[in-house]
Amino acid sequence: MAAALPHVLSAELQKRVNECKLLVVGAGGIGCELLKNLVLTGFKNIEVIDLDTIDVSNLNRQFLFRKEHVGKSKSQVAKNSALSFNPETNIVAYHDSITSSDYGTNFFRNFDIVMNALDNRAARNHVNRMCLAADIPLVESGTAGYLGQVTVIKKSLTECYECQPKARQKTFPGCTIRNTPSEPIHCIVWSKHLFNQLFGEEDPDQDVSPDTEDPELAGDAGESAMKEKSSSDAVEAVERKSTRAWAMESGHDPKKLFNKLFRDDIKYLLSMETLWKKRKPPIPLDWENLPDTEVGTEEAGIRDQRLWAIKECCSVFSNCLNGLKDELSKQGEGGMLVWDKDDMLAMDFVTCTANIRAYIFGIAQKTRFDIKSMAGNIIPAIATTNAVIAGLIVMEGLKILNGDIEKCKTVYLNRQPNPRKKLLVPCTLDKPNPKCYVCVAKPEATVVCNTDKITIRTLEDKILKVALGMVAPDVEIDDGKGTILISSEEGETEGNADKILSGFGINDGSRLKCDDFLQNYSLVLNVAHREKLDEDKEFELVGDMSELQAKEEEETEKKREENKDDNQSKTNDVSDDEDLMVVDEPEEVICQPVVSRKRKAEDELTSSDTPKKVKVSDVQEEEDIVVL
Amino acid sequence: MASTGKDGSDKNNKYDRQLRLWGDHGQAALESARVCLVNATATGTEILKNLILPGIGSFTIVDGHKVQGEDVGNNFFLTKDSLGESRAKVATELLGELNPDATGDFVEDHPEKLLQSNPSFFNTFTLVIATNLCERTLLQLSKQLWTNNVPLLVCRCYGFIGYMRLAVREHTVIESHPDNTHEDLRLDRQFDGLVSYCDSLDLDSMNKKDHSHTPWLVILYKYLQVWKQQHNGEAPKNYKEKTQFKELIKQGIRKNEEGVPEVEENFDEAVKSVNTSLVATNIPSNVKSLFEDPCCKQLNSDSKPFWILVRAIQQFVEGEGKGALPVRGTIPDMTADSERYIQLQQVYRNQAAEDVAIVTNKVHDLVQSLGRVRSKNAAFLRVVRCRSLEEEYNSATAQSQEIESHIADEDSDDEVVFYVLLRAVDKFYEEFNRFPGWYNDQVEPDIPRLKEFRFL
Repeated sequence: MAAALPHVLSAELQKRVNECKLLVVGAGGIGCELLKNLVLTGFKNIEVIDLDTIDVSNLNRQFLFRKEHVGKSKSQVAKNSALSFNPETNIVAYHDSITSSDYGTNFFRNFDIVMNALDNRAARNHVNRMCLAADIPLVESGTAGYLGQVTVIKKSLTECYECQPKARQKTFPGCTIRNTPSEPIHCIVWSKHLFNQLFGEEDPDQDVSPDTEDPELAGDAGESAMKEKSSSDAVEAVERKSTRAWAMESGHDPKKLFNKLFRDDIKYLLSMETLWKKRKPPIPLDWENLPDTEVGTEEAGIRDQRLWAIKECCSVFSNCLNGLKDELSKQGEGGMLVWDKDDMLAMDFVTCTANIRAYIFGIAQKTRFDIKSMAGNIIPAIATTNAVIAGLIVMEGLKILNGDIEKCKTVYLNRQPNPRKKLLVPCTLDKPNPKCYVCVAKPEATVVCNTDKITIRTLEDKILKVALGMVAPDVEIDDGKGTILISSEEGETEGNADKILSGFGINDGSRLKCDDFLQNYSLVLNVAHREKLDEDKEFELVGDMSELQAKEEEETEKKREENKDDNQSKTNDVSDDEDLMVVDEPEEVICQPVVSRKRKAEDELTSSDTPKKVKVSDVQEEEDIVVL
Repeated sequence: MASTGKDGSDKNNKYDRQLRLWGDHGQAALESARVCLVNATATGTEILKNLILPGIGSFTIVDGHKVQGEDVGNNFFLTKDSLGESRAKVATELLGELNPDATGDFVEDHPEKLLQSNPSFFNTFTLVIATNLCERTLLQLSKQLWTNNVPLLVCRCYGFIGYMRLAVREHTVIESHPDNTHEDLRLDRQFDGLVSYCDSLDLDSMNKKDHSHTPWLVILYKYLQVWKQQHNGEAPKNYKEKTQFKELIKQGIRKNEEGVPEVEENFDEAVKSVNTSLVATNIPSNVKSLFEDPCCKQLNSDSKPFWILVRAIQQFVEGEGKGALPVRGTIPDMTADSERYIQLQQVYRNQAAEDVAIVTNKVHDLVQSLGRVRSKNAAFLRVVRCRSLEEEYNSATAQSQEIESHIADEDSDDEVVFYVLLRAVDKFYEEFNRFPGWYNDQVEPDIPRLKEFRFL
């Protein structure tokens, strides 16, 4: 097989290709293309892992899948399809999450190269750490629309995936979502929460009812608000406990639900007068007396791309409740639905409720098409880009096998050729960041938060797991006594969950020893106490304290900085990201070309006097939904 | 819960991720495309795969070869059990499985024969892709397609090196989906509708809520008036003036009883928008060059609708538009109450509709048989033109000198070297009927042979 290859690869490399073992993480857009390339290049031992199942929206690019495969395991079908084309390769497929403890460092050590074909940052962080721990070279990749990137990560030799801080996904304060939405996205997030409250997994962080603990209600208006609060708390406690049950008892009656969500709750919000002193107050709606709204679009257009009038939203609301109720009952006792942007009812539900809420708060309404983009955080994806990137992954893989890892490059695929007329732009790999909180010998990071407010649960779930990418952390306080705060053993520290940090004597300057056994990763987390953070954030993470101080200065210098060919762009990247609205994990998000925008280009023309700077376009620009 | 249902939602679901890249018009263009692939090589089937998945209308493979061992090794769409069968047939079957929406057929014949027996066969396609064609056939095919203005994509792969070239006489684009476009807000050339709407609002007399929910566009308009009064009717021109202008806007933020500025997001947005919004409305250079194009200047009965549209827009620019393109009619999202946002949106829409109507009339005057006009996209018009392959391959018209200058430096890694090499390889093949280095004992002698072709 691979008859044409002896002319291309040296005999020695050919042999290594035949003998080596590869792990492909992800069997989606990039994964399908990659498997094809690997099989054709003559790789004989490939293991592929993906926890996902096949969806209709995959079929425009994931060519190993057909309509009849919808709902089946991606890795399994990909394996079977690839083998039917070339039965001589050994492919092992796992329908599982790569973060599972079944795949520890020993598993990773089985392979010569790990190739990522992932679509989310959490899994990328994890594989990055596993490859660092096992000291296996990792080829990392990502695509978004016409853009793509491939890079190589090797312990102590190159930057790791987490050496440069990534733009954090934008979250919104609970009170903005529950009490004072001002943008369409706030209503969309609220609607997704509502879906989960009614049909999905109930999450106390996703409450949709008015929030009486809004910080705005404190202060000089405190007294009346407090009075308001004490009387309302009783009411709310009853309501909260029973929102889902109450909806079920009523048979998901659209009228009752509508009047609770869009009339009574809004009236209740209006009673918190402080909130509306500077804001336009919301207008409660009544099911019996719906407004005749004019719809701003002149053409009738298809359902997805025109705005729905309020009355239409309400009839959709009614239909969705019926449909979703049936879906839920099919699941049996204790069952629940998972919100999915590609599910028609779930998407319709969010569209109508978000638009009704937007109307109430005087916020611009959006089409179903646009809401789908925002709610599902859809990254456009096509086969061509994935094919180009998968090709580049193999090229980097061949260099590694050939013993030329130092010749590996980060390669960007641009939409337009750059000034040097290159569509594919190779850049040299950067050295590890000596302040990286992951790949240095003794990693440290700092969390800025109010230690009187942050609970151990928040520390574990939001700070250690989400923000710092740990899977099963153990934490002890570095106080000489070794007080254990969090244990990865089930049941050992559950009692601590709702206690606040200061309750354990944690305050400004405290050090926490955090350890993830699976990832073979230890981190000292320094705590910096602040009464209040910008933009009502719960906490903020910084690589080291000097960065925290540098940030303020950099903010002001930003404009000028941006034009300089300068590598110090860390905080810029984060703030550049403002217009990206992230609600969920992105689909096939690129591994942050933003960070490398200022990276120097590999310039092989040594005599050339052309500027060395390479402009790599932002991923964010790629949401180029066409306005006709 | 996979859904099939109303208004073709199944198809919308399948193509959702790409519709967000090229929209409905792009998808429609794709679905009406008829693509011909000449030679089902690994490169050829890979290209077709990436066109069939997103849903081209149909494809046709022209290939006279039988499947051989080397094909099976490097072509994912040819399998071992198909050895000896028609390459066109096998590839068509396997590629067809990728997407039921794309219909596939094949012609089991060599393109050179088809060009002799039925040259007009190729005229019916939207695009012809030729991979690894020998030079003689390529030139024949290219001539045939050039005359009929069918785009030809030439591809050639050789180990790690590859080459791709588009040959099309003229390709016109109405919606080019550019990356970074400025909004078209016309603050520098305020049209009547904008003026009367903004003048109907009075910031000073507004209550607190209305004040902080006035669209920033209106705020910019208002403070631009104030600025102009102080500066002989001139808008802020340079960085310094724009900074001062921003200060002026900031002073408009309401203050509470203690004199502390309130939080007014719309004012913040106005300040942020100064740099991007106070720009001169101008005509993009790509559109300007279209106006200067002979096809636009000399319309005749054979003129394509595109050029009639360009001419109508050009007339608009010189006449009613007073030097500007028709208004695009869209405004960005902004902090505002929906009522005034929609009103403002309507102001821009109305002006756009008015401009489109004028252009439509002009088109009617130019030719009576045209349907809907999309002059809203006037800034995104584009034309692509190439040199013909014939010119490129003819030593009299080839840009030999320029190529020479690129490869003169032996150490240079200019990619033109690959171009010259691949062309030389083609010539080599033409003469010896094999690729250089094909036989192990011929590698060394082949090198000087190949070098001969360096000077085309």
